[in-house]
Amino acid sequence: MTCEQARTQMLGESGGEDFAAHLASCESCRNEVSRIGTLWQSLDLLPLEEPSGTVRERFYEMLGAYRQGLASAEPRKAFVWWQAAAAAALLVLGLGLGYGVRGDKSRPEMAQLREEVASMRQLVALSLMQQQSASERLRGVTWAYRAEPSDREVLGALVTAVNHDTNVNVRLAAVDALRRFAASPETRRAVIEALPSQTTPLVQVALIDLLVDFKERSAAGVLKTLAANQGANDGVRQQAQWALEKLQ
Amino acid sequence: MKKLLVLSFTAALMAPAVLPQDAQKATVAFSDPSRPRKLVVETMSGSITVRGYGGQEAIVETTGTGFRARKGKETEPPAGMHRIGGDSAGVEISEENNTVRISSGPSPFAQAGVVIQVPTQTSVSVNARLGNAITIENITGEIEANNMNGQVTITNVSGSVVAHSMNGKIVASINSVTPDKAMSFSTMNGKIDVTLPASIKANVKLKTNHGDIFTDFDVKLDSTAQPPQVEDNRQKGGRYRVQFDRGTTGTINGGGPEIQFTTFNGDILIHKK
Repeated sequence: MTCEQARTQMLGESGGEDFAAHLASCESCRNEVSRIGTLWQSLDLLPLEEPSGTVRERFYEMLGAYRQGLASAEPRKAFVWWQAAAAAALLVLGLGLGYGVRGDKSRPEMAQLREEVASMRQLVALSLMQQQSASERLRGVTWAYRAEPSDREVLGALVTAVNHDTNVNVRLAAVDALRRFAASPETRRAVIEALPSQTTPLVQVALIDLLVDFKERSAAGVLKTLAANQGANDGVRQQAQWALEKLQ
Repeated sequence: MKKLLVLSFTAALMAPAVLPQDAQKATVAFSDPSRPRKLVVETMSGSITVRGYGGQEAIVETTGTGFRARKGKETEPPAGMHRIGGDSAGVEISEENNTVRISSGPSPFAQAGVVIQVPTQTSVSVNARLGNAITIENITGEIEANNMNGQVTITNVSGSVVAHSMNGKIVASINSVTPDKAMSFSTMNGKIDVTLPASIKANVKLKTNHGDIFTDFDVKLDSTAQPPQVEDNRQKGGRYRVQFDRGTTGTINGGGPEIQFTTFNGDILIHKK
């Protein structure tokens, strides 16, 4: 047995004839073993650390201080009139300031802040609309209501959802959210273009209703085609006919 | 002959398996039980039932095959031969990334149904093109159901529900909802009958073209959103008409995530649980 092999045995349950034989023949290993033995013995001699009596005392002191703190914070005096007055004054001041700041579009920081909030909302809407779960995409569509009515990226995402989302309910919600972008001619064009390619009757009805609400007379051609389409759903054809009458 | 076919898939082994003609039951394990599970069902025909249970695997059972439904009796193979295929409602099952996918082929004769049992905590997405009814029960997770022909019935579930039927009614009873999840129920021809927990906080958006809306919730209707349109043509000898928007919005218990109800021909009923 080599010294190295012997050393690995020193730390564990040492034993075996080989080990004993090696110790007998090797002085350095013998010294090592006795050194380790003494170390263990002196470790055993160390007294066990007992928690001192003051630990308990200090804990209760702390607890008492905490309770006292709680108690001193508790006694709330009855509502005093000047508190109410101060609160009202602050509210008026805040409203006034807010009103003043709101009107001031020229200040660059405000404009920047506004832009940042808008882009944050855009980001939330766009990223939620990319999610796998239909429920999350619905949330994304809800966020689109908070986007700026001029936000073309959110509008684009909504139009994509109307035309391509696999879930009917997401398409329905997206059609509804287009109302937010009613002012843009792009929106109206997108709705007219979406109608012929849409195959789900309920979404077709939602698009027709939207065109009526937009009072979009230029949709008459598409509506006429749909109303005359034998292959289309009866309810949808009736709705298209009704829309034509409304738009005249 | 009834065979028990046990298919155990791991993420590494993802080849889809086609159930042989006689097999009526198959068990598929999710590759990682500790991660969120998902079940996706796409069928061309037949009815679909998804049921949560206490186990850890997906158990798929088919009831009746198209081949037999058409012939009305067992077709015996010619002497010395065995059947290897036909126009049965072949069911294909695969597992990948903790998602079990089940699809059945286009079989116009199939009256087949499929019953799938999954662990209660599983997200479920069911899409039936020419099928009958979709039934989902005892599930906790995100639930999506889309049915072309039949009705959608969802009972004893928690989480969130997004359901559509083209020609059937939607019945859903939800025990508790995941906060912040949006939900939506829609049908072209049928009523929507939804039961929600009494404490739910939600913004509701209701629309029916030819129907009524009923609820026992205290729904605070949004009066500012869309004022009624007044059409006054009396000076020109015309008529006077007040028209309310078909869409109604409101809040329950102070408002929260959006829940959308849309139907063309049918009533909307929202019950308090």
